[in-house]
Formats: sequence, structure tokens, C-alpha cells
Amino acid sequence: MFEKRYLGNRLTAGLMLLAVAAVAAIAGSSYLQMRNPPPEVDRLVPHAGFERRMLSDWFDGLRDTPADTPVFVQVGEEPGGTVLVLGGTHANEPAGVIAAVVMLERAQVQRGRLIIAPYANMMARTHTFPQDAHPQTFSFETPSGARRTFRYGARTTNPVNEWPNPDIYIHPASGQTMAGVERSNLNRAHPGVADGGATERLAYGFMQLILQEDVDLAIDLHEASPEYPVVDAIVAHERAMELAAMVTMELEFEGVPIRLEPSPENLRGLNHREWGDNSNVLAILTETCNASAGRFRGRTDEALILSGEDKAYDKAAGLGRLYVPWESWDKRIAERVGRHVTTVWMLTENLEYVREDAGVTVTGLPTFAEMSEQGVGAFLSE
Amino acid sequence: MMLTWVYWTITVMFIVLVLRNLFREKSLREQFVAGMVLVPLILRALMIK
Repeated sequence: MFEKRYLGNRLTAGLMLLAVAAVAAIAGSSYLQMRNPPPEVDRLVPHAGFERRMLSDWFDGLRDTPADTPVFVQVGEEPGGTVLVLGGTHANEPAGVIAAVVMLERAQVQRGRLIIAPYANMMARTHTFPQDAHPQTFSFETPSGARRTFRYGARTTNPVNEWPNPDIYIHPASGQTMAGVERSNLNRAHPGVADGGATERLAYGFMQLILQEDVDLAIDLHEASPEYPVVDAIVAHERAMELAAMVTMELEFEGVPIRLEPSPENLRGLNHREWGDNSNVLAILTETCNASAGRFRGRTDEALILSGEDKAYDKAAGLGRLYVPWESWDKRIAERVGRHVTTVWMLTENLEYVREDAGVTVTGLPTFAEMSEQGVGAFLSE
Repeated sequence: MMLTWVYWTITVMFIVLVLRNLFREKSLREQFVAGMVLVPLILRALMIK
């Protein structure tokens, strides 16, 4: 109808241009806030004893680049082994990030060393995926009423830091071909390349940390969508399988159902494969169930991230399309974080049974039951 | 860096063409469409998104 009346003229074009500038300014400001968040967002309050370092301390090629990320080290009074925990390899898997933060803020190391990198891929924390409608942040309330807010990022590095992706990504170490977007996926870039793309260099930094610190056990915390077969699971390199099997049984005894998956030998670039093949470390990845990253999900907001409740997934469960017993499953972020923290604690406690003189003792971590009962906020510092 | 310059050149060229269309267009609806096309182009030219 507008065409017939020819209502458009230079004046309306100018007004339209002003509207465009206003919309671009509002949207641009929102996007830029993800890159430069206020100080209270993603704030970390490490427990006494943790020393803050940067990943570039192990690989200088990351210094003063967006890929550099904080790494916290706590050394116990007694000598022992070394455990590395990564959160945020995929920044859209919030329970992995928050579990690493809870451990950073609660852990007291009595024996050995604990190294935590809560935001493994900082470049994935600065954007969300287009058309996925994810909220930019989510938050928890602490017992005093204060709020702790964290960014909800993306699976891959921000294209602003690394682009364009090729049509097909060839994994440098193996020659295996993958979808082009995997070039920006930290968990397809291991063991990394010293002079490669930003994500490959980041992966190389973590490999150097493992080699130089002679890490005994490395655990990467993830989440997967409920329709993905490897969910609520431990994925272990073959050398770590004995330890992972022991912990799987212990978790079942504690009433935390979990499945155990071997690291596929022909699926390259993943940390549980490459860390294990390229060093002496026992490499393990853990997955919890995150509906906010799933393809079946409906309304995508902070409530979905925190509660895991979703009508579309209720329907999918009724049709038998999920890999978890949805109705009885612990979907809240408290249970997902509790599952990660308990798994890491059990792996650490049992390490000395598979690697003599490499025992690591950590106290102060909440149990699955405590986390489930009191919520995540109760275990975050003010 | 060369690829970035190519990207900027293409994006700016598209912005100029869409702006030209916006000011020549007599249909208000088509002007609105041109405006909606401009928003992401501007954000991309500024390397914001």
C-alpha cells in the first residue's frame, strides 16, 4: 500500500537514516559491553593461597593478545601431584565455568598443586552466537543478597579475533578434516600450533602449561545438550580410564548417575585425545546436561540457563528423543555445577591410587548434596 | 590484514549502494527495508559484530 502512495522522499530517507544510526548505536553498545564488561561481571575472588598468573607465562606468544587468560595456582604444604582444571573452553556451557569458579573460590590445597583456568577461551566470552537469542549474562544471589554475574558466551572464538574460517578446517597435527568453524573451537585445536591462528595458539599455550608443569591429571569441564549422546558423562583417554572407572563407580554410589566414554582414537583435536597422546597427563573431559545450548529449546533466557526447565524438552522427552531420563533428571545449574565439582574432587582424591606419589588433597569443596540443597550462590564469595 | 581490507571495501561499497537506494526510493516501505539492511552492515564495517 505504501508503494502506491509514494510516501517516501528525501526527508523520510533522512529520518530513516537517523533511526538506523540510533538502532546501530544501541545494538553496538550492547555488543561492545560483552567485550568490555563492567568490573562486577566475571569477577573472580580466589581463595587465599592461589597465585594469579597468565597463560602467557608458559607460552609468550599469547602475551598482550586477546587469547591470554588468567591461570591460578595453589600449592599445598605437602608435596604431591599436579591437577589442572579448565572451565570455559566453551563459554556457552555455564556449569563448567561456574564449577571452576566455585573451586577457585573454595579450594584449600593440603597436598600437591591445583591449577585452575576458569575462563579458558576468553575470546569466546566476548560474543554470543547470532540468531541463538542467548542472554549476555546470568547471575546468582549470595547469602547476603549480593549478586555475582557472569557472561554467557559462545562455543567458538569471536570472529573479531579470528576470521575468516575456511570451508574445511584441516587439523594441523593429524591432517583430519573438519567443518570450517572448528578452527575457532578450542576443543578441536589441541595440541595447538605456536604460530597458528588465535585459537590454535591458545591450545598450544595449554599444552605448554601441561608439559612445563608436568601435570598429572587434566580435567576439562563441559556441558552438552540433552539430545546429544555424550551427556552426564566422563570421557577419558585410555591411560586415564582406570581412574575414570573408579570415579564413575563412586559417583554412582553417591547417587550421581554418570556414564563413562572412551576418548575416540580417530577424533582429533579434542583435549582428552591430544593432551593424553602428547604428554604424560591423564586427560579427562566431563559433560553435564545443558538445555540452553540444545537445538530443541524454546524460550531462551536466564531462567532456562539456571533451571534447565523447558516445555519443548518435556515434549522431546515424551517422544523418547533424549539421552537422559528427563523427568527425574537434575537439570538445575546447582546440580550441574555440583556434579562437576564432585567429579573433580573424586578424581583428585583417587589420583594417588593410579599414580604413586602424585596424590593431591583438596578440602573446602561443596558436595553434590550441599550444592543441590543450598544452590550455587551459597558457595560463591561476596 | 589483506583479507580485512577486502572485507571493509566490500562492506563500505554495499553501504554506499544501499544509502543511494535509500535516498532514491519513493516507497516508504522500501526505504524501511534499506534501513534494516544498513544496521548490520554498519556494525560489520565497524567490526563490532
